[in-house]
Amino acid sequence: MTAEVFLFWFLAIVTVVSALGVLFMPNPIYSAFSLIMTMIGVSALFALLGAYFLAGVQVIVYAGAVLVLFVMVMMLFDLKSEIKAFTKGTLGGVFKIGSVAVLAGLILSAIMVTTQGVAIKFQGQADFGMQPTRLLGNKLFTQYVIIFEILGALLLVVAVGAVALSRSKGGTHARRID
Amino acid sequence: MGSDIFEVTVNALKLVTIFLVMVSLVPSLVWLERRGAAFIQDRLGPNRVGPLGLTQLAADAVKFIFKEEFVPAKAIKFMFYGAPVFALLPASLALCALPLGPIINIIPFEAFGQTWGPYIFSIQGYEASLGILFVLAASSLAVYPILMAGWGSGNKYSLFGALRGSSQIISYELAMGLAILGVILIFGTFNLNEMVTAQNGPLSFSAFDYSMTLSFLPNWGIFYQPIGAFLFLAAAFAESNRLPFDLPEGESELVAGFHTEYGGLKMNLFFIGEYGHMIVASALMVIFYFGGYLIPGVSPEQVTQFLSGFIDSQNMTAVLSGLIHLGAFSIKVFIFLWIFIHVRWSLPRFRYDQLMELGWKTMLPWALGNLILTAVIMAAIH
Amino acid sequence: MLAESISEIGLGHFLVLSMILFITGMLGVLLRKNILTVLMSIELMLNAINLSFVAYARSLNQLDGQIIVFFIMTIAAAEAGVGLALVVAVFKRFKEVNIRFFEHLKG
Repeated sequence: MTAEVFLFWFLAIVTVVSALGVLFMPNPIYSAFSLIMTMIGVSALFALLGAYFLAGVQVIVYAGAVLVLFVMVMMLFDLKSEIKAFTKGTLGGVFKIGSVAVLAGLILSAIMVTTQGVAIKFQGQADFGMQPTRLLGNKLFTQYVIIFEILGALLLVVAVGAVALSRSKGGTHARRID
Repeated sequence: MGSDIFEVTVNALKLVTIFLVMVSLVPSLVWLERRGAAFIQDRLGPNRVGPLGLTQLAADAVKFIFKEEFVPAKAIKFMFYGAPVFALLPASLALCALPLGPIINIIPFEAFGQTWGPYIFSIQGYEASLGILFVLAASSLAVYPILMAGWGSGNKYSLFGALRGSSQIISYELAMGLAILGVILIFGTFNLNEMVTAQNGPLSFSAFDYSMTLSFLPNWGIFYQPIGAFLFLAAAFAESNRLPFDLPEGESELVAGFHTEYGGLKMNLFFIGEYGHMIVASALMVIFYFGGYLIPGVSPEQVTQFLSGFIDSQNMTAVLSGLIHLGAFSIKVFIFLWIFIHVRWSLPRFRYDQLMELGWKTMLPWALGNLILTAVIMAAIH
Repeated sequence: MLAESISEIGLGHFLVLSMILFITGMLGVLLRKNILTVLMSIELMLNAINLSFVAYARSLNQLDGQIIVFFIMTIAAAEAGVGLALVVAVFKRFKEVNIRFFEHLKG
């Protein structure tokens, strides 16, 4: 068993267990901490696949910024651990789980058919010709530059929208006199 | 890690040594800080225990260890105990990825009746190919111990301190990241080792078939990125929660911020984390802008040549040269650590809204402007 | 077959792992009542997709998959920003962040 194989199984167990933690933890704060563990595990898997730049960005963006926002919002809300964390209804629940299971079976069979079992091996080392990070930048700013610009505009819109939404008059504070 | 037992041992020892050096630097920094504060404020400081008060550190350590283990009634045990342990991680992970000296080439030598093949050692815990990204990622995790401590303590002041601390850290991370992007543009690499070697030699600008060499100045990053260096230093103060940005633990408002409920060894672990951040920030400052382990005016090859005049063994020369550069690096880092301490005792604390305004309305535009200026100049030259 | 699939890692392993993460996230979206947990589950699903894209990029030796991951990350961050702003709006109104309060948002 090589180090790569051992790392894969270790990281797979870490990510799956912490993902299940997101699903089953009754307190959303613990869910968030589980999700952080998942993100770090996924980032390590990226590194295992040779995508070092993405691995770094994954930790900086998700663990360093997005989930911090989640955790801060939760702490401000002072949420108690919920007794009824899951939606009600036995029939609905069975239907939901059943449909998810059907989807899982579909995806799994699609993977099995396309990869013929697990026969597809990665060939050698990750090799993209030149330095992968440099190539990534080149592609991002030439071939994909339009999508990049659109995303920039989207981020601006989202920033404005988020500020507008969170400044809307809520019920908890005294109404502002305009 | 390595191919045979010697290499594996050396590499493992390096990791352990770097961690232990970080941990054991903290008491000496605390001593330096207290004596330095006393010097700035025209007092004496701790001077009773041992020569110059140096053994005060040992006394403090004993006191920390023997304090009562105390957990508040409303605390969440898991987070309360987890936070201080987790506080050590980001700084030590980041510190291990920094190049502290040049690469040492060991030629084959005989020992224990066996030939040990050629080795290449770097004075560095481990080399990450995208070093900057790794360091940034590791230090972006530093928010979580603060949040865990604040939430786990079950205390209003702790929670406020934690919220302030985390929002401050993620706000200043932006300015810091943009300042670092300027450095990446200048050197054209993410690798910290390559950055340091690019700063070798005298300062020389070249643009449009015209080049100018200032032989009395080293080729350091600060001469290319003066604004970036200043922004980075200011953001580093905020990232490591030091005065003038120590709002998370502003004692006049929040008792002691996120570590109000901590005492004894757990408090000490937070301390080590904070000082570790200071060390990492100073080391990054030195690597980006002040030539890393390079000695100004002398290249590593010249040092090796000079040493080989005294010592026959090529391996000994290489190791000694590495240690000399490590010494140069430590001196530079200590200068910045002293700046951290000096600023702490000279500047007053910001108000919280002033802090946020400085971060978002002053430093972010300046950092963006610096980045755009650098990019335009780089594009014009090449 | 089984021993071989444990001792050798290929594209299929990463795809199956990605599927498991995706399914977990989907169950979270369908079954949990707290809006914040639902948002976090959506993040989990996006991450699962990212993993499969990177695995394909590695398998095909092409970087385009990694660029898609960049875009997905940007979208995920934007979604989290807007989602959290909505959650704050709901919390201000109802003092609770249950998914059923979203039906009051219309109009």
